[in-house]
Amino acid sequence: MAVAATRKRQRRKNYNESPLWLYLLVGSLVSAVFVVPLMWEIFRSFQPATAISNPPSAATFGHLTLENYRALLTGQDDIIRNVVNSIIVAVLTSVLTAIVATLAGYGFGRFRFRFSGLAFGMILLALMIPFQAVLTPLFLELHSLHLLNSLLGLALFYTAFNLPFGTYVMRNSFLAVPKEIINAARVDGAGPMRALVSVLRPLVLPGVATTALYAFLFSWTEFLGALTLMTNDGLFTLPVALSNVETGTYGAVNYGLLIAGAVISMVPCIVVYVSLQRYYVRGLVSGALKG
Amino acid sequence: MAQTQTRTRPRLPVQPRPRGRSQGQRDARTGFLLVLPALAFVAVFARYPLVFGAYISLTNWPLVGAYHFIGFGNYVSLIHNTVFIQSILFTLEYTAIVTPAILLVGYGLAIVVRSNRRGATVFRTLIFLPFIVGLVTESYMGVVELQPDSGSINVLLSKLGIVKASTAWLVHTGLALTAISVLVIWFASGLTMMLLMAGMQSIPRDLYAAAKVDGASWWDMERYITIPLLRRSIVLSLIISVIGSFLAFNQFFILTNGGPGTSTSTVVMSIYSAGFAQFDIGLASAMSVVLIIVVGLISFAQFYFLQRDVTD
Repeated sequence: MAVAATRKRQRRKNYNESPLWLYLLVGSLVSAVFVVPLMWEIFRSFQPATAISNPPSAATFGHLTLENYRALLTGQDDIIRNVVNSIIVAVLTSVLTAIVATLAGYGFGRFRFRFSGLAFGMILLALMIPFQAVLTPLFLELHSLHLLNSLLGLALFYTAFNLPFGTYVMRNSFLAVPKEIINAARVDGAGPMRALVSVLRPLVLPGVATTALYAFLFSWTEFLGALTLMTNDGLFTLPVALSNVETGTYGAVNYGLLIAGAVISMVPCIVVYVSLQRYYVRGLVSGALKG
Repeated sequence: MAQTQTRTRPRLPVQPRPRGRSQGQRDARTGFLLVLPALAFVAVFARYPLVFGAYISLTNWPLVGAYHFIGFGNYVSLIHNTVFIQSILFTLEYTAIVTPAILLVGYGLAIVVRSNRRGATVFRTLIFLPFIVGLVTESYMGVVELQPDSGSINVLLSKLGIVKASTAWLVHTGLALTAISVLVIWFASGLTMMLLMAGMQSIPRDLYAAAKVDGASWWDMERYITIPLLRRSIVLSLIISVIGSFLAFNQFFILTNGGPGTSTSTVVMSIYSAGFAQFDIGLASAMSVVLIIVVGLISFAQFYFLQRDVTD
């Protein structure tokens, strides 16, 4: 106990440290710069549209309403359909990425086969080719595959561009499993798939969570690909649909709707990130320190 | 070594004799089958478009109708394409503005959140939120808040006496670039903070203790211990910022749509409008190839720096 406390004190002394109250004050002020604008937008989304298109003033602060959300979700914009599209694509992308990356990570991490290094390099190299630069040929390719204007097509494209990172994370997860566990499973007569499902699954689950989380957030916030590969309003994902709200495609520009739509697209990111934060940071650190 | 081990390992009685194949052969086949789906995905949706795009860039491919092979015609015409050249210069200018700023702000933030003190974890989470929410959503918020007279940002800055309340940020090249740069720095600094923080935490604490014994000041320790040992993380976060700003599209598309005129049009925007507004797919593909080469060179530089680091 005493040793641990001393060690903690020593560790704290290594950086030149200010008093705790000062640290908390500075940290809170700095954090406020990053969070207050987001909180302010949540507040704004509950203001009536007229208050948003006029200078903010203390007189209108007390007046809060669900008007923007009601108009957005029931109006002609039919944003609810776009929210559903976004959910479908994001869930499909994260499930597909998790499954395919887990299988690939298992293969690269636990089996020796010819050209495995080359194949791994092929997959990782995709990290260096920005998807922004292949959208034109991809558009033509998906068109001939009848995957243009298709939520499935968009999810397949997102999956392909999330696989390099996912495969990398999953290979490391499988490499981290002690060899004895794998050998024990083998001795017990478990085949490769049986070993994966019943023995390895709990051990690599954090890696799967990391992979799925990154794929989900990528898909939920992606804009250019969805803008390019979807030409039918009814199939737009939420970020693309909001560009119609911005320009007032369906009538007069209503910034109340735009703010409410932005808040709807923001909230899932925050909820998912805050609840699965340690998996996110895992991915960041493994990418940062080894990449 | 490992292979010899496998071969000499005594076969256990419970293990059924494989049908005609050795364990190693079966493993190889299983391994290959496991990675096949990932390979197929990458081949179909990343490798093939890359090759196909390079081929299209040598043709005058229209969206519909026949195409002809025109060699390097598209590339030659790029040299005279003032809009494209302008978009490259603008993207470079934008990159030169935001990259150092993101690094400096991110470094400062990392100093705040790297300690194990109470509150540090919460600060980390909060500062990272703008990155998680994403630039697209935040650009839409920017559209509303940058409106002359009604936008919160204008009202706030005019109360502080910095700008006039009627400032039209998004229809003036310099002002739009300023506003978007601030937005991007605010959005992206959290990522640099996380990367640098991870690097800082892996520096042995003894070094700081020893330096302190020698009477080093706070700045001495940053200058002579943290920064040199952090070079890898600094290079990595710089590369991420440079490539990210080079591929900028969303924030400009949403906030200025490249305007006024094409003065805030980025490289990716030029590609998008050549391909999907003018339907000159050959030209758009040639622009894409140029972009891939530039980004490839940046990635290569990253690789070079990181490799050199290891051998140092």
